[in-house]
Amino acid sequence: MAAAPSLRAPPLTLASTAAALRTFSRTLVLQPQKPLFTSSRALRSPPLPPFPSNLPRRRLATRASADGGNGAPDPRQFDFDLFTIGAGSGGVRASRFAATYGAKVAICELPFSTISSESAGGVGGTCVLRGCVPKKLLVYSSKYSHEFEESRGFGWTYEADPMHDWSTLIANKNAELQRLTGIYKNILQNSGVTLIEGRGKIVDPHTVDVDGKHYTARHILISVGGRPNLPDIPGIEHAIDSDAALDLPSKPEKIAIVGGGYIALEFAGIFNGLKSEVHVFIRQKKVLRGFDEEIRNFVSEQMSLRGIEFHTEETPQAILKSSDGLLSLRTNKETVDGFSHIMFATGRRPNTKNLGLEDVGVELAKNGAILVDEYSQTSVDSIWAVGDATDRLNLTPVALMEGGAFAKTVFGKEPTVPDYRAVPSAVFSQPPIGQLGLTEEQAIQEYGDVDIYTANFRPLKATLSGLPDRVFMKLIVCASTNKVLGVHMCGEDSPEIIQGIAIAVKAGLTKADFDSTVGIHPTSAEELVTMRSPTRKIRKDPSPAMIIGKNSDRVDYLLEALKVVFFLFHERVLFYPCSANELSCSCKVCIQMELLLKSFMV
Amino acid sequence: MARKMLIDGELGQTIEEEKQYDFDLFVIGAGSGGVRASRTSASFGAKVAICELPFHPISSEVIGGIGGTCVIRGCVPKKILVYGAQFRGEFEDCRNFGWELSDQVDFNWKKLLHNKTQEITRLNGIYKRLLSNAGVTMFEGEGKLIDAHLVEVTQADGTTKQYSAKHILIATGSRAQRVNIPGKELAITSDEALSLDELPKRAVILGGGYIAVEFASIWRGLGAEVDLFYRKELPLRGFDDEMRAVVAKNLEGRGIRLHPGTNLSELRNGEDGIRVLTDHGDEITADVVLFATGRLPNTKRLNLQAVGVEVDKTGAIKVDEYSRTTVPNIWAVGDVTNRMNLTPVALMEGTCFSKTVFGGQPTKPDYISIPCAVFCIPPLSVVGLSEQQALEQAKSDILVYTSSFNPMKNTISGRQEKTVMKLIVDSETDKVLGASMCGPDAPEIMQGLAVALKCGATKAQFDSTVGIHPSAAEEFVTMRSITRRVTAGAKP
Repeated sequence: MAAAPSLRAPPLTLASTAAALRTFSRTLVLQPQKPLFTSSRALRSPPLPPFPSNLPRRRLATRASADGGNGAPDPRQFDFDLFTIGAGSGGVRASRFAATYGAKVAICELPFSTISSESAGGVGGTCVLRGCVPKKLLVYSSKYSHEFEESRGFGWTYEADPMHDWSTLIANKNAELQRLTGIYKNILQNSGVTLIEGRGKIVDPHTVDVDGKHYTARHILISVGGRPNLPDIPGIEHAIDSDAALDLPSKPEKIAIVGGGYIALEFAGIFNGLKSEVHVFIRQKKVLRGFDEEIRNFVSEQMSLRGIEFHTEETPQAILKSSDGLLSLRTNKETVDGFSHIMFATGRRPNTKNLGLEDVGVELAKNGAILVDEYSQTSVDSIWAVGDATDRLNLTPVALMEGGAFAKTVFGKEPTVPDYRAVPSAVFSQPPIGQLGLTEEQAIQEYGDVDIYTANFRPLKATLSGLPDRVFMKLIVCASTNKVLGVHMCGEDSPEIIQGIAIAVKAGLTKADFDSTVGIHPTSAEELVTMRSPTRKIRKDPSPAMIIGKNSDRVDYLLEALKVVFFLFHERVLFYPCSANELSCSCKVCIQMELLLKSFMV
Repeated sequence: MARKMLIDGELGQTIEEEKQYDFDLFVIGAGSGGVRASRTSASFGAKVAICELPFHPISSEVIGGIGGTCVIRGCVPKKILVYGAQFRGEFEDCRNFGWELSDQVDFNWKKLLHNKTQEITRLNGIYKRLLSNAGVTMFEGEGKLIDAHLVEVTQADGTTKQYSAKHILIATGSRAQRVNIPGKELAITSDEALSLDELPKRAVILGGGYIAVEFASIWRGLGAEVDLFYRKELPLRGFDDEMRAVVAKNLEGRGIRLHPGTNLSELRNGEDGIRVLTDHGDEITADVVLFATGRLPNTKRLNLQAVGVEVDKTGAIKVDEYSRTTVPNIWAVGDVTNRMNLTPVALMEGTCFSKTVFGGQPTKPDYISIPCAVFCIPPLSVVGLSEQQALEQAKSDILVYTSSFNPMKNTISGRQEKTVMKLIVDSETDKVLGASMCGPDAPEIMQGLAVALKCGATKAQFDSTVGIHPSAAEEFVTMRSITRRVTAGAKP
């Protein structure tokens, strides 16, 4: 294996510039003779490789089955068929499945603690103890303040404003985590997996050391996950990471959150809902790098409306602690004082230090991620790795998929490659995001000609609550095959809504399938099946024939022109139609647009 | 008018249609189906008029309003009240999440009602604007047929006007029905229930359909004592039996008293309310008695028989699969045809009608895999076949996958209420034939599954879909083991 390529998708450099220019390029659909269109394409981000295509490809398929659990050529006797290091989502899944295939399995994990370290972890792993689960429980709690506000429009009144008691929440959350870690232990025990508490370290390709005791195994699986990564700046010792943020002894009065990724946004929502003053500092112009541009704009706008203050294009340089105990954050632009807490959500690193990996020849990427092939096998034949430790697509259900595929490959005599296409994911910001497939930018790169359907509407609940909540939805459709390439949504219930859509996309549906599906009324989700006319059509080469083509096309282009005008005057992207059912928006602009358009429709 | 209809057997009739009419299409009734059909027809170039009764929240022979049942007396106001009622559960659930509320959170019914009326008035206005923007001529008044090409509109002041049209579309919808028992005039229907002056403290509901369980949840959530009476053993006849039992259990869990197998026999005026007598000989007193005992098509005053439009026993207009009545140029869509009485279905029928008649593209509505939702608390949503229907229709064995779990929110809130999901799979083809769910967000979750079922997704495709974690919906893609296999022909 030659130089290890970075396993991360390349950054979307110039993406925002490109997006702005694309808006301009739409004018060119009306006037295709101008050359600007080409220049805007040149400015677009470099092609994104289909994720995660740059894994090393090797000889695997045949060999994997050859040295499977049964009929293996190696005559040696091992203590176990499989020894798994790390009992998080991927490790537990792989161990259980391997055991059901008849393998003798052991798993080791660090002692339970809500805060992870070199010596603490717990059965259940990040998802259960320091990620998805506690995060979602805190999201539930913090959402109530919004619900209390909503309820007023529905006739509910409070003698006194509802108050939140932080310690009740944290105590109940920790009780639930204890219960869950117990359940995970039971699951392992019931499937006959030997659980060993302690820190696992690889001694040789078939031996693991746990706190001084050696265990031999035919296969070793590394599923040690990742941990938050803080930058090395002065005063960083005063900062907290997401582990600590999920288990604070008291509620922050005023918190700075550094980072623009999903973890930063989720915690911003949590603390804002629980009535902390929240400031988010991001290095870039926009949050959620890698997400669809319109989603990025929409979510930060909605979060700002709920009271979160964004500081964009600011890089933190130092944390200062004053005599009253409060913290200040100094960035390249300003110093903001008075924080009770400063949280860094600036990425996570694989937990691969001090595992003995380098010594046995397991190759790592620069960021410490274990390099694996498409079957999750490392550069050492008997050692495999799944989940965040491999930094492929760091999601619990993906780790589960990788763990399941590993067990099938090695012990089920059925070589199985995890399938990363159309993996849906969610951001539990407030409002939340659900998405799957390609972003508009990626779709244009890969397919060139795409039709974009969007809806931006005020949900029924907001019409009564009077709050400025909106919902944004977007379908990206391949113009030539009519296949749905991507679905993106931000608004109440997005994660729940996107799951079913993901099944349909996985089944290879087309826009026509969407259209032929009857809505469930009244829901937000029904908008996804009632988006009849494209918001814009993106074509590599707009031919004159298209421009003077059918009526509907002319209307589309006119619409694009109006959007550009709107963009120029308001410096904001106009979404039109505001809603697929046209009922949810009666703002002046929309009425005017509709009338204008009407006059051009014959 | 050179436009031809491309319907079988119609091509020879164009010469006769050279006659001049006031309109290409006259629509009676501006509800979901009528408005959709008018707008789409107009977009195909037809000259369209529509008539509708004056606006009022409570419908009668002489009042209605643009927007129809869905917007004014159905889906929309109902969902608004459900939103209002859901907050009670949230107030209970939030305490273990650390929130401290004063013991009494007060609810002001008049405020909710006012805001609701404001919203449906706004929607009524938007619908009017949609019609006028589409170039549809609106008439306020009651429409009635004079002959196959002539509609008479009686305005509020009693004056009448007649309009001729090449095609007439009847989209007059339906109205709630009362059962015929002594004292029935003391009861109300869902129309009034959506606009009561006072919130009842004690409510009695007769009926086991979706309207009955929705109002039970609404009133209970807003603080009333609710007694729900229905004839069958379980509410929601027609839905999957297992899910019906789940709904019944949840209603009870939320404090609604269920009286299965019980009918009301008489209502009497009492000193402190309405005395309600049951066929079991029991008596209870209530402030409000709601009859949610079905709806009948609004066809009585349309003069249908005189022009030869046939109706069935219930008064529903008989139509063919293109929504055409027994008179070739008269058509009908929506609840008035009593096919599948759902707003999105009326929309589909309206669109198909326009495509067929004015779009040169004969289109039949497709009634396969239509999802629907019952907005009780927590809601039920289904798409495709129930287990019972699957067994009736299946040629091969049926695989049933069920999942009953404690939603994550309840692990902290302590609420004892399981979410239940169910998939029905054909063992031969692996196709998912039906999906149902009862639990929070079920309707939002089911929409995507409906798309998947519509494109013929298999269980293997469900399984190969990666979950969204942590969500309730991910359970639908992680149901690995079969709960039971039912042999075709075996009746449960």
